[in-house]
Amino acid sequence: MTAVRVRQLTVTRGGRVLAGPVSFEVAAGTTVGLQGPSGAGKSTVLRALVGLLPAPLVATGGIDVLGVDVAAPGVDLPALRARAALVGQTPVVFPASIQANAVFGVRHVRRATRVVLRERAEAALVEAGLWDEVADRLDAPADQLSIGQRQRLCLARALALEPELLLLDEPTSALDATATAAVEAAVTGLRGRRTVLVVSHDPAQLARMCDDVVRVGEEHPSLS
Amino acid sequence: MPLGTGVLAAVAAGALVAIVAFLVIGVRSGPLSWNLLVTSSVWDPGRGRFGATAMIFGTAAVAVLALALAAPVGWAAAIAIAELAPARWRRILRAGSEVLAVVPSIVYGLIGIAFVRPFVARFADVPGGDSLVAAALVLAVMVLPTVIAVSADALAGVPDATREAAAACGLTRTEVIRSAVLPLARRGMGAGLLLGLARALGETIAVFLVVGRADGRFPTSAGDVLTRLARPGQTLTTKLNGPESVLAGTSGAHWAALCGLGLLLLLAVAALTVAGQRRSRTREVSGRRSMPRADGRQLVPGWASLGRAGTDRLARWTALAALGSTLLLVAAVVAVIVTRGQAALHPTFWWRPAQGASGGGVRDQIVGTALLVGVAGLMVAPVGLALGLALSEYAGPRTARWLRTATLTLGGMPSILLGLWGYWLFNVRLGWGRSWLTGGVLLALVALSPVVVAVAAAVDALPREHREAGLACGLRRDQLVRSVLVPHALPGLLTGTLLGLARAAGETAPLLFTAAVFSGASTLPSGVRDTPVSALSTHIFTLAQDSAEPAAARATWGAALALVVVAGLLVLAAVPARRRMERTAR
Repeated sequence: MTAVRVRQLTVTRGGRVLAGPVSFEVAAGTTVGLQGPSGAGKSTVLRALVGLLPAPLVATGGIDVLGVDVAAPGVDLPALRARAALVGQTPVVFPASIQANAVFGVRHVRRATRVVLRERAEAALVEAGLWDEVADRLDAPADQLSIGQRQRLCLARALALEPELLLLDEPTSALDATATAAVEAAVTGLRGRRTVLVVSHDPAQLARMCDDVVRVGEEHPSLS
Repeated sequence: MPLGTGVLAAVAAGALVAIVAFLVIGVRSGPLSWNLLVTSSVWDPGRGRFGATAMIFGTAAVAVLALALAAPVGWAAAIAIAELAPARWRRILRAGSEVLAVVPSIVYGLIGIAFVRPFVARFADVPGGDSLVAAALVLAVMVLPTVIAVSADALAGVPDATREAAAACGLTRTEVIRSAVLPLARRGMGAGLLLGLARALGETIAVFLVVGRADGRFPTSAGDVLTRLARPGQTLTTKLNGPESVLAGTSGAHWAALCGLGLLLLLAVAALTVAGQRRSRTREVSGRRSMPRADGRQLVPGWASLGRAGTDRLARWTALAALGSTLLLVAAVVAVIVTRGQAALHPTFWWRPAQGASGGGVRDQIVGTALLVGVAGLMVAPVGLALGLALSEYAGPRTARWLRTATLTLGGMPSILLGLWGYWLFNVRLGWGRSWLTGGVLLALVALSPVVVAVAAAVDALPREHREAGLACGLRRDQLVRSVLVPHALPGLLTGTLLGLARAAGETAPLLFTAAVFSGASTLPSGVRDTPVSALSTHIFTLAQDSAEPAAARATWGAALALVVVAGLLVLAAVPARRRMERTAR
């Protein structure tokens, strides 16, 4: 089964090409890396997959994510984003407790009791490799966490949605070596159990984490 | 600090101290029972009884009701501007809502007389419609731009990454705003409420014209509160702006009681202004507060039938409707001023002198306003620059904090208090009588706060590298200020001065007792003593109070349009400088 099918995707801004054209597929259950030099538009492509491009940017081409044609008029993007959760480059924690951050998305998307939310938070934090560090202070403010812990909390927030596809945008670029290792371990732990599309400028990192690597922007040096 | 800068900064900071001192001296000049002042509602100068609870109630009721109307609309409109509108429309939508802030309060008073009073008269049993509720309706429109501007700034301060992180979890637009953006912007939006409240408490002229100015009494029951709202009332500012201030002499029990009211007013406004500015500058970072309620189910009845997408649409349309009604309000205010002010569309209106209550033009009033504003500008630019440099460059952190508080307090100062201070100091103590120079000084104080804030902001925005580059060339501090900081701050100085003067040009309350007369002033004064001028704002104020006659109404609204044009031109002149400043700041 194919989770993502992208054909001739191009992102432009006022007629100027920012990314693409790229074509690739991600098979369900695999971890695929999107690799390319800085400025090649990897993050832009990732955002286009779930309709998160900021206003003046326009995507053209075929984007099929989890059977949804993203460009179709009237498509329910929030519903798609809950199935294909994206984790950004810099860890964003909301001004709330660690647990509230972990279930930030899921409590909007699904009806759930307090008990169920607590269970979801635990499961997600375990999967993101953060549980052991925060189990005794789930109600503490999330901004007390270190930056590496925050990034794994963002990962947990996405995992709590039980997404069919996980989109990671340079998940370690804002982190130091220790924190990078922890996040990498968490992502590697998902391998084989989740469908993951991860963007990175670091080929060695992708080689460690991924089954397959797609190159963006290298055939078009003018773009970089 | 160079001597000149120090002296000018001290003069400016001293003005605030002088105003507080004036009120304290006034209170001490006669027997005043604070206890009676805040517990009794009998105000009877003839029998020496001074109780102000009715006026305190009037002030609180008018301000709270105005905010209750303006805050929800203002917040929703700010959300529509900052979160829902396309990015390239934001600037123009904000400018549109700021038109409401350019219209001087005297013109709102006219609109209140023409539209709000008849509206209230139809629904409540009040002849003429003079009432606290009419004042609250007028004030609601006047504080709306404050709430919108401060809230939109707070929302714009929330990083886009926060919005994206929330949207990436599958939240709808409304859920993103409610759960991710508002928790970060809440403090700033609360500041909008406080600053709007301070503005409402201190407003004098517009309220004066529609509130009825009957002392009334303190409500005896909860139901009586509603009755009182629909009756003529009095607020602290309208009491001070009334004839009593001039009749009371400048010492004795009556004067002391009035100064006591002024002190109460000043304390309330200063506390709100300082608290509001603090809030708007600090951002909430602690996570101790729990997240807002889990979902929309408790908030919107019938959520289940609407579904998430339906709730999203409903909330977005509500916010857009608030923005739409704000813009309609702007259009209505502009349309009223232009259609009623047609007299000012004839060029002769601008260069013919006024004839009595109804005829002629506004030549002397234009000249008088230009003179007052010009004098104020000549004073406020150097003083504002000096104070801005003093607080952002020279002062230690502690002094800087005091100077900043003083500046903000002066900026939120009810202008009627400036008027009373000027009356006491220049008219009476110095024996100038009514003088153009007093008017210029008072308007300079009105304009001072925006100037200082703009200069300080410009200096703070100077990149560290610029300063280092200057120091690396061996410049001493004063040389650095002269050749790096001042040139960098000039656009800020210009913008602040023009915006401050736009506000000053529309001021009425500081001029009524001190500088302006309705008729009998020469076009240009000579000397300082007993040299009143005519001004547009006070001219409208006098005409407005007997505007039943059609010819008088024509002259009133013509002068109003002329005043709006003058204030509008000053604001427009500031736009290019502000643009440039924003660009260099980026």
